[in-house]
Amino acid sequence: MSLDGSWLRHPTCIANEEGERQIACAISYAGEQVYIGNGAKPHLVKNGKNTIMGFRNLLGHTYDEVDHTAILTAPLIPESKTPAYTVDILLPAPKPASNPRSAAASGAATPNPAALEPIPSTKTITVPEVTSLFLSTLLTSATDFLGVKPTACVVSAPTWFTPAQTDALREAAEAAGIHVIQVLDEAAAVLVGYRAGNAGEEEKGDKRVVVLDMGETSLGVSVVQVSQGEYTVLAKGRDDKLGGREFDNLLLKHFAKEFTKKTKVPLDLPCGENASAADKRADAKLVLAVEHTKRSLSASSGAATCAVESLKDGMDLSSSINRLRFDGLASGVYRQVGAKLTEIVQSAGLDLAQIDEVLLAGASTLFPGLQQHLSLLVPPTTPVTAAIDPSQVIAIGCALQALHLSTLEDGLKVEDVLATAKQTAEVTSAPIGIVLPGQDSEELAAIVVDSGAPLPVRRRVAIPVSSAGKFGFELWEGKHEVKVEKVERPPIEKDEEDEEEDEDEEEEDEEIKTAITKKVKALDGVSVEAKGEGKILLEVIVQRGGGLEVKAWQEGHEDSADKFEA
Amino acid sequence: MATVTTLPITLSPAPQGWSKPSPSKPSAPTQLPVYPAGPSFISAARRQILQRSFEEDDKHVHSAREAAAAAQQSEGDGQLYPGLGEEEEPHHVLQQDPKEWKKQDHYAVLGLGHLRYKASEEHIRIAHRRKVLRHHPDKKAAQSGANDDAFFKCIQKAHEVLTHPERRRQFDSVDWNIEDEVPDLKKYSPEQFVAECNKIFAREGRFSKTQPVPEFGPLDAPKKDVEGFYDFFYNFDSWRSFEWHDKEVNEGSDSRDDKRYTEKKNKSERTRRKKEDNTRLRELVDTVLALDPRIKRIKAEEKAARDAKKKGGVPNGGAAKPLTPAEKKKAEEQKKKEEAEKKEAEKKANEASKADREAAKKAKEAARKNLKKWKKAIATVIASSNYFQPEGTSPSPAVIEKQLAELDSLVDILEPEEVKDLKEKIDKAGNGEPAKAALVEKVKAAGEKGEGKFTEFA
Repeated sequence: MSLDGSWLRHPTCIANEEGERQIACAISYAGEQVYIGNGAKPHLVKNGKNTIMGFRNLLGHTYDEVDHTAILTAPLIPESKTPAYTVDILLPAPKPASNPRSAAASGAATPNPAALEPIPSTKTITVPEVTSLFLSTLLTSATDFLGVKPTACVVSAPTWFTPAQTDALREAAEAAGIHVIQVLDEAAAVLVGYRAGNAGEEEKGDKRVVVLDMGETSLGVSVVQVSQGEYTVLAKGRDDKLGGREFDNLLLKHFAKEFTKKTKVPLDLPCGENASAADKRADAKLVLAVEHTKRSLSASSGAATCAVESLKDGMDLSSSINRLRFDGLASGVYRQVGAKLTEIVQSAGLDLAQIDEVLLAGASTLFPGLQQHLSLLVPPTTPVTAAIDPSQVIAIGCALQALHLSTLEDGLKVEDVLATAKQTAEVTSAPIGIVLPGQDSEELAAIVVDSGAPLPVRRRVAIPVSSAGKFGFELWEGKHEVKVEKVERPPIEKDEEDEEEDEDEEEEDEEIKTAITKKVKALDGVSVEAKGEGKILLEVIVQRGGGLEVKAWQEGHEDSADKFEA
Repeated sequence: MATVTTLPITLSPAPQGWSKPSPSKPSAPTQLPVYPAGPSFISAARRQILQRSFEEDDKHVHSAREAAAAAQQSEGDGQLYPGLGEEEEPHHVLQQDPKEWKKQDHYAVLGLGHLRYKASEEHIRIAHRRKVLRHHPDKKAAQSGANDDAFFKCIQKAHEVLTHPERRRQFDSVDWNIEDEVPDLKKYSPEQFVAECNKIFAREGRFSKTQPVPEFGPLDAPKKDVEGFYDFFYNFDSWRSFEWHDKEVNEGSDSRDDKRYTEKKNKSERTRRKKEDNTRLRELVDTVLALDPRIKRIKAEEKAARDAKKKGGVPNGGAAKPLTPAEKKKAEEQKKKEEAEKKEAEKKANEASKADREAAKKAKEAARKNLKKWKKAIATVIASSNYFQPEGTSPSPAVIEKQLAELDSLVDILEPEEVKDLKEKIDKAGNGEPAKAALVEKVKAAGEKGEGKFTEFA
């Protein structure tokens, strides 16, 4: 969960008072103390049943809807509506009755020591209450950092949040004393976060982007058509089993094996429900240690160490793992991520070859191995971007969105602007492009308006001409397709010994997939009389409802434009 | 704004015989979710809310951009404030000693002599930059080979002082280049007087913590404005201070006493000067008030108004309709009668209450006078009762003391009348136990006031 204010033109992720930029969604009740954030995480080891984690995903759910097997922390109690946790706490002791006369009467006798003992008690706290508590600590941190209380915020919510969950999150945040301008989809936050440029400046060009958000517990993939900065969702999907936890489990398994090998103490991690208490404790200890190992693996190419004192039966664990070894371990997870990516891209009726960029978000995408695996899946021209720290990009996106919304011009109101957003919007269904006369090609020479552009849409393109004369071109509707070319491998000079091994490979021809746009239907044509060298400008507007307006002229001669409407 | 992308194709002239294809309708749009995020979404929303077409929106955005660019332009110094910082540099300004910075005219050094306290931070910044460009030691060395950076140091010092808000305030407080002479206002004609006063108070107003300062105003200013002006200047809250004249504490000296002494001196000097300045302003305002032709005018006007009212005769503005003489007479008689009755009643009430009050007062005074007498009488009774000790035993000094102390406090607690009452009762009861009984009764009657005080008479 990220919260950020927009106090700078270029937002940065701020650290809390302990210098942490990633703050765990954890709250732990230990006696009279309440730990919130990263400080609560270690309590999972010895105080698991009073520690609350992963509460955000339960927001807006009823008790029955919650998957109880996934909850490892404080137990949920059955309640009619909102799920609630029960934790053991110690209430602060009541103050000794202060009656000076009676005190004087009892003389120098010390008050009964038992009266000062805190009283064990239980506390029931609902999920929205936990969320509010957590958010209010974030707000305090932000206030301390800024010196002023943030007046409003943009909060991000996972892509798969239902409207009920979004509303619950908004309510929880409002209860924490923060005015929520907007609850922004995480994928949208990533898109806003990655785009550079100043407030009010629109993005140029059209591209198809995949946002891959891999957090602690789940993987979210969204396929988005970026149409000059407007984001149309082509498909989205989620795998709630695939997340950073998978990597944790792999490392746990690996280190447990190492431990058993070295010490001969049997340890099988990650342990299940009915493991022994010692195993469970070892599990929790190693989870915390592995967190650190994971970070060093992402950060540096050297070996990452993992050391736990008295992991089990008084034996210490001290081991290390390097990237190669880890990538070997994690290749299965990488493949799963890749498969999910492919699946969701295909569900949008697209192929990976038609993706122009992959944007990464979430701390789990920091693994270089994963980034490498993904870049092999997509065409070499498609970048896999992690330019902004993927663990911070969502927060930065929220801050930028808050900045955009707080610097509205023309007397617009934030509510009005947000009210224009609807569940779905009209978008173009097919790309519109140029076909040059006299060229006998299957494809469009260039796309002017891509499919998936929210209406109304306008595009202006320039085509250079080198001489005076009469120029004309046709406008066609097209269709995105993938051209598959089978390329035979160039025969490689090889030694006789290798021949047998290589034979298998030779059987398969390499497939090269390229995205193309085939022409389907001619819409009309335009002709322009050029008076010399220069540019011909073409403006295409698709109005709401699908009405087409086309206009072409030579730069500087807009009066003599050739136009048509359809 | 419409962004134009150049397509990666080149156009060749249309071939002979090419004709436009027969037009057809484009496919109908589909519905897909769109994220409400990013500046492009906001632009689209703006077009939708304000119902602008692309072209209209372009125009608005274009004009807004131009306005922003113009604002940006005016921020940069470019050709802004031509001539600023390019005042003539008199010989004495150029030749001054940078060590004597307390005597330096910082505004003149930066060429802001005409603006002084009115110079904005922007002015100072730009003037400083221009001065530095002109007088940089490197430049001088290149031009004449002279190694003279004295004036450059002066410039830097001036910049340092004037860009520091506190130090600039201190300098402005004592800026000796702004004349603060007040000419003899008595000699002036009313017009000259008003003109001069406007100048003086515009100058004095710069020290006010509350801005804007009301103007002295024209000769025919309304009463409200004139009063407002004098109100303001009689309650003048000045930021003027005199740290600039502080004697430097000798930094080299280790003597702490020395430093403290100087600091103390400086402080008292500052307060003295501040006081002096406040008095100066007050006296100035007094003088002006006394001479102000507008005050005379307003007074005359008011008097005229009063006279007019009197002449009008009818107190309620003459709006009442004239009464017939008989009615008038009757009304007057009625009124007189009522008034007389009222007066009589008041007089009576007054007299009665007065008499009451006086009697009470007298009684109280008498009681107070007698208090000592009564107390003494009671003490005598107690003493002759052998301090309520059994016959034959002589009371211990402690008991005597305690009983007398309690008697004192009892008398303190009780009203004089009650003491009198007590004395009479004791007299009646006679010595011994009955007297004690009377005392105890009184103590009880004293109730809470005497709680815990009495042991002997409890």
